Amino acid sequence: MQALRIAATGMDAQQKRVEVVSNNIANMSTTAYDTRRAEFADLHYQQLRTPGAISSSTGLIAPAGIELGLGVRTSAISVSHAQGSLRQTGGDLDLAIEGRGWFEVTLPSGDPAFTRDGTFKKTGEGLIVNSEGYPLAGDLTIPQDARSITINANGEVFAYFDGETEGQQIGELQLTIFVNEKGLEALGGNLFRETQASGAPIPGEPGLDGRGAIRQGFLEESSVDVVAQIADLIEAQRGYELNSKVISAADQMLGSTTQIR
Amino acid sequence: MNNTVYVALSKQAGLAKELNSVANNIANVSTAGYRREGMLFSEYVRALEPQDRSISQANIGGHYFDATPGALTQTGGQFDVAIEGEGYFQVETPFGERLTRHGGFMVDAEGQLITSDGHRVLGDGGSPIAIPAEATSITIAQDGSIAADGAPIGRIGLVTADPTTLAREGANLLRADGETTQIENPKLRQGFIEESNVNAVLEVSRLIEVQRAYEMGQQLLKDEDERISKTVDAMRRR
Repeated sequence: MQALRIAATGMDAQQKRVEVVSNNIANMSTTAYDTRRAEFADLHYQQLRTPGAISSSTGLIAPAGIELGLGVRTSAISVSHAQGSLRQTGGDLDLAIEGRGWFEVTLPSGDPAFTRDGTFKKTGEGLIVNSEGYPLAGDLTIPQDARSITINANGEVFAYFDGETEGQQIGELQLTIFVNEKGLEALGGNLFRETQASGAPIPGEPGLDGRGAIRQGFLEESSVDVVAQIADLIEAQRGYELNSKVISAADQMLGSTTQIR
Repeated sequence: MNNTVYVALSKQAGLAKELNSVANNIANVSTAGYRREGMLFSEYVRALEPQDRSISQANIGGHYFDATPGALTQTGGQFDVAIEGEGYFQVETPFGERLTRHGGFMVDAEGQLITSDGHRVLGDGGSPIAIPAEATSITIAQDGSIAADGAPIGRIGLVTADPTTLAREGANLLRADGETTQIENPKLRQGFIEESNVNAVLEVSRLIEVQRAYEMGQQLLKDEDERISKTVDAMRRR
């Protein structure tokens, strides 16, 4: 009885959905976390009789075929890169992106990784690094004697020194966009890596050509809508139960078959 | 003499297939754009000896799918598009053009609108739709026209086809063996996804029905078996 296996694919899919939802809820307070959504597609069909088959010698055509579906599979876990709300922190190296774009950091291997988590810190040498210690691309060094720094919406970084009223521009930040942000590969630690699906990174000045603006002193919150996630969780749980009902029905039918004799 | 058994068996075989279809519907209760399927039972008449009356057996004669639109769920995704009412999106696959109701689209590395399986979505002229990389906002109007930052860049076309010419291929795709016709006034909703149109209550009641009918068939087979063995017994005692 195929129904057993078909229902098993259904339970598997609902389980995936619960896993995705639980990961979303676990990350409801993660800075700049993007909500994931499991997407499903029906499996292949077994064609017992194709539609349009000739049903008699007189050439009549059967109006409907017989196709047996074989269940469901997870087709994608898509990331929705929606803008999370901005929370004011006041930190001078807390940066939020309002709009599209990613900060580029350099991994210890030398490869670039991309993040929207703008909780940057300063090292003893004045280098700007993220919370994992990976340096922000662009070789920005904050002079040791700088009193404060300002980063404007276009990414220009100014340092202020004692005894000077005017700030000095010490560099500029760039933001990177991708043709297909959903194609980025998540590395964990709020980092993403470019893939063939995402297309090549397109770095440029913030606020121009589709890139968002940088907001100093703000952090982007997680975009998880907890209420929607709970609704999804309930749906997934009920879906799981429904599939298990099918399994027990198929099991009872098989049981009654073996009891004929 | 064995006709009773054969008739009951034909019914049991059909019911087992029907159970598979119920299982498939329930498995796809969360598949966006999925269409509920059903089985049509038909009478299959067997011509016997001229003096006998004919005996009909049950047979699965066909299969249909329910084209009722599913509920729309708001996702807010910029490339999530749901169809209100009739129609299908056209996508380009390596095996030719296919139809789908699943509107959770994305953009590939070349900037073209694709489905989650990577097939290109076709515009009303039959060509893929390119989304400019630097666009900050993409709006899809109700009639399917897409605008990037206010500038029109293309239009998603919807088609209809005769339901009897549609075969399902899995992965939310349908193959149209006949002609497809363009819809004049499509109705699309951006930021929504069409849910599966499987009605859980209906499927569970179908499940119970199938199970009970199957048990009835088994009982019939059992009774028939007893009747035959009693007859054999009685004949031997004579």
